[in-house]
Amino acid sequence: MRVLIVEDEALIANGVRQGLLRAGFVADVVDNADAARAALQAEGFDLAVIDIGLPREDGLQLVRSLRARHHVLPLMMLTARDGISDRVSALDLGADDYLTKPFHVDELVARCRALIRRAHAAASSALEFGRLRLDIARKEVFSDGVSLDLTQREWSILECLVLSAGRLVTKDRLMSAVSDWSDELTPNAVEVYVSRVRAKIGEAAQIRTVRGLGYQIREPGK
Amino acid sequence: MSRVNDFSIRRRLLALLLIPTAAIAALATYSAYRTTLSPFEAAYDQDLLDAALAVASNIEAGRGARPAISLTPDAVKVLRSDSQDTIYYRVSGGDGRFLAGDAGLPVPHQRIRNPTFTDSAYQGEPIREANYRVITPAGAAIVTVAETLHKRALARRQVLQSSLAVDAAQLVTALIVIWFGVGFAFRPLRRVERQLAMRGARDLDPVTTDGVPDEIRSLIVALNRLLRALQEAEQAERSFLENAAHQLRTPLAGMLAHLELLAADSAPAEGERVRDILEGGRRLARTTHQLLALARSDTAARTLVNLEAVYLPGVVEAAIAPRIGAADRAQVEIGAQIEPAETRGVRWLLEEALGNLADNAIAATPPGGSVTIRCGVAEDRPFIEVIDTGVGIPPAELDQVFERFYRASNARKAGSGLGLAIVGEVARMHRAEIDIAAGAEGVGTVVRVTFQRSIQL
Repeated sequence: MRVLIVEDEALIANGVRQGLLRAGFVADVVDNADAARAALQAEGFDLAVIDIGLPREDGLQLVRSLRARHHVLPLMMLTARDGISDRVSALDLGADDYLTKPFHVDELVARCRALIRRAHAAASSALEFGRLRLDIARKEVFSDGVSLDLTQREWSILECLVLSAGRLVTKDRLMSAVSDWSDELTPNAVEVYVSRVRAKIGEAAQIRTVRGLGYQIREPGK
Repeated sequence: MSRVNDFSIRRRLLALLLIPTAAIAALATYSAYRTTLSPFEAAYDQDLLDAALAVASNIEAGRGARPAISLTPDAVKVLRSDSQDTIYYRVSGGDGRFLAGDAGLPVPHQRIRNPTFTDSAYQGEPIREANYRVITPAGAAIVTVAETLHKRALARRQVLQSSLAVDAAQLVTALIVIWFGVGFAFRPLRRVERQLAMRGARDLDPVTTDGVPDEIRSLIVALNRLLRALQEAEQAERSFLENAAHQLRTPLAGMLAHLELLAADSAPAEGERVRDILEGGRRLARTTHQLLALARSDTAARTLVNLEAVYLPGVVEAAIAPRIGAADRAQVEIGAQIEPAETRGVRWLLEEALGNLADNAIAATPPGGSVTIRCGVAEDRPFIEVIDTGVGIPPAELDQVFERFYRASNARKAGSGLGLAIVGEVARMHRAEIDIAAGAEGVGTVVRVTFQRSIQL
């Protein structure tokens, strides 16, 4: 998997690159928006990590121009500014995720992986997480290659969790994820479904409860 | 046009104009009174004189050397008849001796012009007299006809009343015109006032001077100068903070990324040291972030920021989501109790404040404990609350915890002492109240931030 890092600060660019290399990615670095567009034009990438504070043309403008050209690759934004406006405008312009500097390299890698996983799921209709493999087209789950028997609702909940792997998924979101075919689902029912999913997947992945808020799926042993 | 100090241009103008206008009106009344009255007086005097002449025409030479009066009782009746006043008459000889009529009627000095009118008194009442001197074959005689002043007083009163009424009407009209005229003249000022009132709190753009009267244009220009200075100062402060944030965070981010990788790659002995450095670096990064947040919330509190409706469950979620990992590492169970609640405020500042409370709670809680973040509405007021089962804050130190860099004596972990200062600052700008109490059964701490019922910041 190949990542383009668009960052003008060499210290950060190298750190991110090392982190991604260690996690098994291939990573290239460019330091401005023009070079980024050229690189993305010439080569196939699975994701771009873009600093918002680029010189001349900033990261937000780059995102806008990429989305205007129908680039579909996942975009991970970095910024040194706080406040919410950058986050909101980045996501509005079509970025997929966002981290504030300084960040933990581990977290950046995990989020990049989640973004790529999601993009691949959309493209190949297969989703791998921990020891689970989800076949999105056929709504089937395999644990270490063994098919698991999930109901439709259980499947939707697992899919929703895996697509947001590593992130907090609120009960409300799970409820709306399964509301396509059931309007009558209560928060209590969601809890019941989650506990069933948890029992069925066993050790293949870990579904953690955040009391009063929602759930988070993690790879086993983490 | 503030009523606070009771100073009003309209009232002032009215008071200034009232005195001269009233004086002129009084003068006009007096002059009209005099002018209108004198023909009346002259006519009444003429009537008296006519009566005197009528009496005089009845004087004849009597027996002896004295003039005699040949007035029939009917004639006297006619003479004395008057609807309002009592008429008196007297005929005196040239030497002033009484000849006929009302004996007590005073007679003026003899050497008088002819005819002559005098004011006098008779039977305790003021009277007006007409005196006419005639020469008869029997010698000189003086005819005096007098009347009480009821008619004249009535005429005087009527003249006075009517001129008073006219002038009072003029005065009142003038004052009303001034009152409304001032209001009308100030309408452009009201327009400017409305324009300013309708602006967003953050709108520091200059006020237009189009259609503004000359009298207040200089005021608007001065206001615009102030607005521009404010705008520039705020802009300068914002860009300084942005630059500072960038210049501080960028090298820190790079350093920390490399340290993190180095810690993972190093041999165990070195790895320990690198992790210590990494830990120090992260504390530095966190303090930097808090200082920047404090500076920005300072700026936000001093300048007018735009408030938005903030849904508190979203703030709770945003405070918990990034801290799940930290809570796990500290072996603290973190959770939420969410009821729908909404306040008006600055969302990122509220997230920052609640995040700091959550960090403190996690840091204060020993492994096996829990941290609960709540939001909801109590007694009509929205609140957020952080409950931990940690070491608690010593009661004696409760007053100091909001001071910058203050650290509780029983703190379990290293910290900057800025977290609660940020919370205090954010609460202050939202006019929220902070209550810190010991948790249930004296274990841990409960920090509650209660917002205003209806926010008008």
